[in-house]
Amino acid sequence: MISLIRSEIYKIGKQSKTLYALAAILIIEGFVFLSAYYQGAGIIDLLLDNLKESFEFQGNLLNGNLIIYLILNSLWFHVPLILMIIISGFLTSEYKDKTIETVMLQPVSKLNFILSKYIVSIIFTLLIVLILAVTTFLISYWIFGYGDLVVYLDGLNFFESEDASYRLINAFLSGTITMVFFSVVSLTLAVILKDATKTWIVAAIFLICSNLLLKIDFNNEIINELFFSKLTDSWQYFFYYEVPYSSIYFKNILLLAYSILVMAIGVLIFKRRDIQG
Amino acid sequence: MKRLYFLLLFFVSLNAVNGQEIDNDLLLIKRRMDSIKSYEAQIKLDVDISFINMPSKYGKVRYRQGEPTKVTSRDFIMLPKRGLDLTLNELFEHPFITVNRGQENYKGVSCKVINLIPTSSKSQFSIATIFMDTSAKRIVKSEISTKMEGVFTTSLNYKNDIDALPTAIEVEFAVNNVKIPLRFLGKETQVDRKAIKQEGSKSGKIFLTLSDVQIGR
Amino acid sequence: MILEARNICKSYGSLEVLKNVTIECHKGRIYGLIGANGAGKTTLFRILLGLIKQNSGSIAIDSEGIKPIGGIVEKPALYGYLSAYGNLKVFAQIQRLKLTKELFNESMHQVGLSPERKDAVKNYSLGMKQRLGLAIALLNNPDCIVLDEPFSGLDPMGISALHALIKKLSRENQITIIISSHIVSELADLCDMLYVLYDGEIIKSGSAARLLKENVTTFKISGKNLEMSEVLKNADAVFMNKSVLVSPKDSTISEVLQRLIEEGVEVTSCIPQTDLKALFGREGV
Repeated sequence: MISLIRSEIYKIGKQSKTLYALAAILIIEGFVFLSAYYQGAGIIDLLLDNLKESFEFQGNLLNGNLIIYLILNSLWFHVPLILMIIISGFLTSEYKDKTIETVMLQPVSKLNFILSKYIVSIIFTLLIVLILAVTTFLISYWIFGYGDLVVYLDGLNFFESEDASYRLINAFLSGTITMVFFSVVSLTLAVILKDATKTWIVAAIFLICSNLLLKIDFNNEIINELFFSKLTDSWQYFFYYEVPYSSIYFKNILLLAYSILVMAIGVLIFKRRDIQG
Repeated sequence: MKRLYFLLLFFVSLNAVNGQEIDNDLLLIKRRMDSIKSYEAQIKLDVDISFINMPSKYGKVRYRQGEPTKVTSRDFIMLPKRGLDLTLNELFEHPFITVNRGQENYKGVSCKVINLIPTSSKSQFSIATIFMDTSAKRIVKSEISTKMEGVFTTSLNYKNDIDALPTAIEVEFAVNNVKIPLRFLGKETQVDRKAIKQEGSKSGKIFLTLSDVQIGR
Repeated sequence: MILEARNICKSYGSLEVLKNVTIECHKGRIYGLIGANGAGKTTLFRILLGLIKQNSGSIAIDSEGIKPIGGIVEKPALYGYLSAYGNLKVFAQIQRLKLTKELFNESMHQVGLSPERKDAVKNYSLGMKQRLGLAIALLNNPDCIVLDEPFSGLDPMGISALHALIKKLSRENQITIIISSHIVSELADLCDMLYVLYDGEIIKSGSAARLLKENVTTFKISGKNLEMSEVLKNADAVFMNKSVLVSPKDSTISEVLQRLIEEGVEVTSCIPQTDLKALFGREGV
């Protein structure tokens, strides 16, 4: 298994499309930065408008923490979309080029092969989120500095700089689990559909529908608590004034369970199917 | 008949003279505050507004006679527009008359209550009600109706009988709930539109605690 | 016996692709599988290589190696963005084989490729890709190699070189090699044994020499002044540009050649032409 994983990592590192994907994500991040900066001042004005009558404000709320928060909000659609495209390509390209046959002609078990794909997809996802997080934090703090964070979530919540950084880091960590879920889904779609274009389309639809379903109240506690699309926003919970840790843990553990289930489905289907490019 | 008329005029004039004068106790308190050329203190701010969650903020307050009071902090802070004028300079900025409203008990202290009515249109407030602890020569409460910023009610608490500066200040004011588009950043929360409409304006409070006060005379 | 596939059946829905196919292969010999397009050759090879499962039947490979069987199905599928070294490294790594510099050089030389070339495989010719595919198939020294239409798309030089390589691997390394083709001439000189696959069934099998000899009725003779030969005219030969096709009925080809020499005709070559109808034993082939 280790040797399979190493060869997968080697292949990913050698492909130019990996660089393109990374560049795309960083460029998107750059645009989101700009948008956050120009949007940020307006948002603060909007939030504090009603308080201006009674208060004078000192200190700068348009700081690195706010920029990171605004970027976080945008990232969780753009990044999974690109991730799903890249990660599904790890398998669909093998079908297209028929290298999957050459691989299976070697003494490699199907189980180990597909598991190594899933593991490498997860590693890749973690790496991308790490790069995003590090660049976001570094650039935000370097250009905009530190300061209190204001978030509107059931009221205006003000967080001191260190507290804000802690919450933002945890939000990234929590959001990573959501990214892993979408990555695993995209690879399973690749197992089922094999064709790159079909997989991209279905993956995009899945992502869009998940985001839409997140916002719908089903008026059913079980669905609202347990349905997978309701679990993908746990990162937001870190911005309630009192962090509901038990809710966050529950959602993330359940989402991991969904990820394992989706993986298992992909593995089963791959194992049962004949290898035909 | 003429005599009666002049007597009446005299009494009215007397009263008029009383209404146009600034209350002596207030002047005493003002003189006492004017003796404070400067002060510095550590300040702690706590906000009590239903839709705001904010941790205690810490800073430093600095006053120099003739200059506006300054509060500095490394954090973001929200300062009430009223409540930091402990030396009454803002009230005395433009001419006013005082009207005695009698005695009232406030937090166990017998206070002389007076109204301040500005006589100049330049004044920032329309009327102020001051509760004075005449024995301790200090103000314990004020209600200021500003022209542009609503009504501020300030409560001042002192550590002991002889302190000129309070250790705790409570400022109460009216504040409207935050109105923002639903399509805003942040989790899409359940918004009860009816409740928000019914709520309208609410009161909010900010608590200021002063410590390590150093007065320069 | 190194490989035995017995009564292999495979269907796709109602379409029967393989019907009770049995083949037996011995160590160090070259086996040919001849069949027209769509006969089931590739399907059989996929089953032998474990890419797809048969509906019924059994496969036994007598080998204790890590990799009992290797092969190439249709075109060699390689990672175009990697170099030859990169490809060998990946395929070696996944079967826990460390690709040392020595092993790389040896693998490349074994298939007649230069180890010095560093560019991506997508720049390689088809013949070079075939060779690299073969190098990959040979990793971990399998006892048996399956090559599906390896000569397809190659030029005559490429075919000749691959021929030589296959022979060398079989003789020197004692590797059993199974090759499929729909062109008889590609396998005629190469294979020890032949299996003829028609419509999913093995209809003939045996020594290549015997099978081809039994099904040769026409010969292509090339030479000078062929058009002057009375022997050829009397034999109802079909004259082409610089050669003739002759189907001797009352004599052997040796006797025809002898008479041509006596006539003074300079014969440069005599190539047997396999009668595919006879070989496949079916009309309409």
